[in-house]
Amino acid sequence: MLGFLEARQVGLDDPGRLRRAEATRSMLSGGSDGIIALYDLENFSRKVHYTCKSICSVGRNHPDVHKYSVETVQWYPHDTGMFTSSSFDKTLKIWDTNTLQPADVFHFEGTVYSHHMSPVATKHCLIAVGTKGPKVQLCDLKSGSCSHILQGHRQEILAVSWSPRYEYILATASADSKVKLWDIRRASGCLITLDQHNGEKSKASSEAANTAHNGRVNGLCFTRDGLHLLTIGTDDRMRLWNSSNGENTLVNYGKVCNESRKGLKFTISHGCSPEFVFVPYGSAIAVYTVYSGELITMLRGHYNTVDCCVFQPNFQELYSGSRDCNILAWVPALREPLPDEDDEAETQKNPAFEDAWSSSDEEG
Amino acid sequence: MFPALHEVPASTSSPRSTRLASPRRDDTPTLWRTVTSSFRDRIGLPGPCRGSPGDVPSFTWIQTHFRHSRLGSGRAPLPSPFSPARGLKSQGMSRKRPRLVPETFGSRRRRGPGGAGEEPPGGEAGSVRRALRELGELFPRLLFQDALPPIALKSQVYSLVPDRTAADRQLRELRELGEVRVIQLGFDADAQGIVFTEDFRTKALASCRGRPYEGTVKRFLASVLPACGDLSFHQDQMTQTFGFRDCEITQLVNAGVLTVRDAGSWWLSVPGAGRFVKYFVKGRQAVLGMVRKSKYRELLLSELLARRAPLSVRLGLPYHVHDLIGGQLLDIVPTTSGTLLRLPET
Repeated sequence: MLGFLEARQVGLDDPGRLRRAEATRSMLSGGSDGIIALYDLENFSRKVHYTCKSICSVGRNHPDVHKYSVETVQWYPHDTGMFTSSSFDKTLKIWDTNTLQPADVFHFEGTVYSHHMSPVATKHCLIAVGTKGPKVQLCDLKSGSCSHILQGHRQEILAVSWSPRYEYILATASADSKVKLWDIRRASGCLITLDQHNGEKSKASSEAANTAHNGRVNGLCFTRDGLHLLTIGTDDRMRLWNSSNGENTLVNYGKVCNESRKGLKFTISHGCSPEFVFVPYGSAIAVYTVYSGELITMLRGHYNTVDCCVFQPNFQELYSGSRDCNILAWVPALREPLPDEDDEAETQKNPAFEDAWSSSDEEG
Repeated sequence: MFPALHEVPASTSSPRSTRLASPRRDDTPTLWRTVTSSFRDRIGLPGPCRGSPGDVPSFTWIQTHFRHSRLGSGRAPLPSPFSPARGLKSQGMSRKRPRLVPETFGSRRRRGPGGAGEEPPGGEAGSVRRALRELGELFPRLLFQDALPPIALKSQVYSLVPDRTAADRQLRELRELGEVRVIQLGFDADAQGIVFTEDFRTKALASCRGRPYEGTVKRFLASVLPACGDLSFHQDQMTQTFGFRDCEITQLVNAGVLTVRDAGSWWLSVPGAGRFVKYFVKGRQAVLGMVRKSKYRELLLSELLARRAPLSVRLGLPYHVHDLIGGQLLDIVPTTSGTLLRLPET
């Protein structure tokens, strides 16, 4: 049964690739052409296949549009009056949604790969920014400057994510194969560096000591309760970690092809049982159960590499953006339960269709 | 040894003629398949291939009542060794395509994760232990003049036990019990060989019989193996904990029981495993090449096994096929003509 709807980028000139989609009831998407578009996700047409229109966008003729590819966009966690976007043009811009003007701009020395603002933070409004340099920068929205630097990584930071459970815990993933968990209140270094072998030094070659993956670590995603962390790396592996002690839970997802040189944005479902993780896998999206590692299915629909996907918990829909300039919405299809095989013998028969003919000669 | 999955036409000179003769796709012309091959229904069941690129038969994913029909690559269970893939069906598709004959007769209907997920008798580690024994039977002992213990690879275990997390857990248990040892084979960071400890000990002793280092090896096997279940050993461990001198460690390396890993650390190794690794790497490339050269870069499993193995495949085709399937170097697609092996697109 077909289960996907299409949302095409309408009203934009020459859409480029999709980079990141963050969804509440409106969806933000940033493209590799620097354009940021907003979509309304409600479907008021009764049709199964519908197209979400773009409400507004920051297009190429906007004076403050990003010059290069937009890597990450995120709504302000508390309402949709503001959103943030970071791009390869070494800036992080804070936008006012109603006027579509940038309220603030942060400049960095290297290209910005990823940024994230804590969804549960009440005591701070820090945005963690991962750039080409090895230092994680924390930018304060209130003061408009970079207040913290977290040192510890050796190469570029490809993904950052705040914990959805504790407002001071931050996870960062870097191209030096390490994933570090930080408590930003501490002055000294990171809390934990994740080790894929859980301390058993004998398993791998000695260069791989204390690394989360055997290649660059591309993507990070906390589970919704914040107790586990999923990381994905260019060694084609995805690992599930216990976020409180940094232990590798050793759930084996098999080979998760990952050829992205930049961050890979994948997502976890919310409110499902069991929880699923949706990972872009080439031009399809692979769906795994989080805690058992089973591959459920591959969602095929895109024509080119899928770069990002995001899950909308209220509608229980998945949105994915790909290099074929499309954003697709994946909707779980409801189907009626199939009749049991054992019941087939007992189906009720209308007595009008039963024949009274008997093959016995005596009865006649 | 392998059940006949379907009747392969006898003299098949070229793969193309086999393809047209095989009953896999009913009336779908070959041209149709090339157009739609990228949207091919992964379930592999026939039914008209849906044509236009805009209309893609994709899967539904259900969050609430999820009947885990096993779809997708690498997940079809292969109980020993290659019995026909039971009819995997996406239950959402039943209204749209005609019922198949086997399903009408109810023989192939599958519910839930079934298959190798059931707990076998013999405890938690039972299914992996059985898998290791079967793979040990596939190992060609005569090729190495019986000097090597049967080595199975971890990827082969994944091919026989589809739930990887459970297989890993059971392997860890077996390692903790001391029944198996994991050997780093060296050509790939992921490729790890598994041997039963008893076999390993017997063959290691046999290989060093009559040699000057026999005593050291005996001491190593008696003291270090039961004490330390790791894959590798460090200088400090060897000298202080177990009391080996440097010259003795050199003797162990010469004997083949240890292989150099780094300055001051060594992998555990099987004596004489070098030949095995050489044949294995060559054989793996040869089998992959067989699939790569076929017309659509895919081959029916039965066809692959029925072909004559190229000379570089010394360890046997089934051995390599298990490894390729478990290592996800080949995708498995269940079809009505049997299991299809396909090179992954990425």
